[in-house]
Amino acid sequence: MTAAVATRGLTKSYGPLLAVEPLDLELEAGVVLGFLGPNGAGKTTVIRMVTTIVRPSGGSFTVAGLPDSRPAEIRRRIGVLPESAGYPEAQTGEEFLRYHGRLYGLPRGGAKAAARRLLVEVGLGERASSLVSTYSRGMRQRLGIARALVNDPQVVFLDEPTLGLDPAGQRQVLVLVAGIARERGATVLLSTHLLVEVEEVCDQVLILNRGRVVANGTVAEVARRAAAPRRARVQVPPGLRDRAKAALADTDRLRIDEVENRPDELELTIAAGIDPELEAADALRRLLAADVPVLGFTLEGGRLSDAFLAMTEAG
Amino acid sequence: MTAAVDHTPGRPATPAWLVVAEQELRDLWLAGRGLSLTLAFSVLLSVTTYLVATNRGLNFLEQREAVNLTLQIAVAVGALLVLLGGGDAISGERERGTLETILLTPAPRRALVVGKAVAAFSLWLAAFAVSVPYVWFIGRGVGVVGVALVSGFIVGGLLALFLAGLGLFVSALAGSNRLSLSIGLFALLALFAPTQMPTAAQHGWAGDLLLRIDPLTSGLHYLGKLIVDAHSAGADASWLIAPVVAALLVPALALGVSGRLSLRRPEHA
Repeated sequence: MTAAVATRGLTKSYGPLLAVEPLDLELEAGVVLGFLGPNGAGKTTVIRMVTTIVRPSGGSFTVAGLPDSRPAEIRRRIGVLPESAGYPEAQTGEEFLRYHGRLYGLPRGGAKAAARRLLVEVGLGERASSLVSTYSRGMRQRLGIARALVNDPQVVFLDEPTLGLDPAGQRQVLVLVAGIARERGATVLLSTHLLVEVEEVCDQVLILNRGRVVANGTVAEVARRAAAPRRARVQVPPGLRDRAKAALADTDRLRIDEVENRPDELELTIAAGIDPELEAADALRRLLAADVPVLGFTLEGGRLSDAFLAMTEAG
Repeated sequence: MTAAVDHTPGRPATPAWLVVAEQELRDLWLAGRGLSLTLAFSVLLSVTTYLVATNRGLNFLEQREAVNLTLQIAVAVGALLVLLGGGDAISGERERGTLETILLTPAPRRALVVGKAVAAFSLWLAAFAVSVPYVWFIGRGVGVVGVALVSGFIVGGLLALFLAGLGLFVSALAGSNRLSLSIGLFALLALFAPTQMPTAAQHGWAGDLLLRIDPLTSGLHYLGKLIVDAHSAGADASWLIAPVVAALLVPALALGVSGRLSLRRPEHA
């Protein structure tokens, strides 16, 4: 199966500054990829390279099976919402979409129909005839997403589509993103800082830090692989909490805290870099060896936000 | 949600330059500054025509000279409007953040420049159209109106092509809209500078050469020969060399740099 996006040693430098280190990436068709990284990590530069807006300093890429030597054909197959995209204030939403539709080769009538359909799809049907200057930021972002879909693209790049939106606006945009993948079958590369939402919407995650890929895989894989601390809760009979603490105390791999107002619970923090499953099993063995009945044991799932912080702060 | 676009490469339903030109013309004339600039120009022309007519009454200006002066004002202001239109075309979009979405379409970069040039050129057509009744009013009765309008349209058109190309060339390369417009205005002032030389200096070989190689001054000089001196169109055709060369060369240069259109703001967020 042809990868929707594939890069080989893709790199970009601005003078002495290496903005993107050689990047190897393969994104399968139909996948929603969460493209994460702190500000200045190189996300926008990568997106601009594979969308043919910025020329790479080295390496190569293909998009929708087309090599980077055919930029016009690549542009025909992709939809992009650029970061901080501007909008012509004096055009109406429909006029804006119609214009872009025609630039993609749609006939006049087809562009008009596509514009109206997309405006309804993104919830702007009733504002189709309003000037863009009267749109809120959230409405503009939704208009930008509609524009990115005007050519029915195979691959959609959304660079910070939720930037500057309130929670309701963020939710609306993320619902749209999920819809693009589900209903259109398009591959989506979503650059964002909303980690919780990435966990909901994305199949895969790629974390970039200082121009270098520090993690790549499914959300669960990345969270598990991250050198982030994990937490576990142990429930023991109330009178045996001190004995449980003593049984677990002879290791520096665990930090043990009592849970406030819960005399039967301990919170264990497993140090970064330690396999949490193995450490949890070892803790259980030691409790049982110390004759402490374990009434409950919960290993909290690795969170993407923890992984993100661990990977990007370490860099 | 249906597939609406044929992804196979081929000719779009309408040529991309025409799509861009249509939208640019709409933006300029229906929602932009085109009408207000034209209105301001007509006010300026009304004032100058009044002054010229008044002076003619006092025999300060011959009727042919009055027609020539009015036409030269139309050409000069038209040139300025075209230069401003071209100068804002690309750097303005870049500054407003709208260039990236245009560059992301499969429309050839050259088509974007041609479409924008058409819109900028339309400002000259509007300026010329506004000047027609004024030229007719001042020149009626001495058989100069026809020659003035035809020659003015041709010379002004050549200069408008040249300045649209110049504005777009600078706009494509400039890092900011302010820089683009500043360079354009400076270039226009430099082009007009030879007209301010003392008469004696204009008649020496160096002055003559300067007037001839400057497309603006040579074009205006040619108009003067036809309208004021009543020469035939072919007698002084050599004065048209610079406007013709500039009208061909500079837009070609603008098309040449269109392939390098970029955002020009390295960002690595």
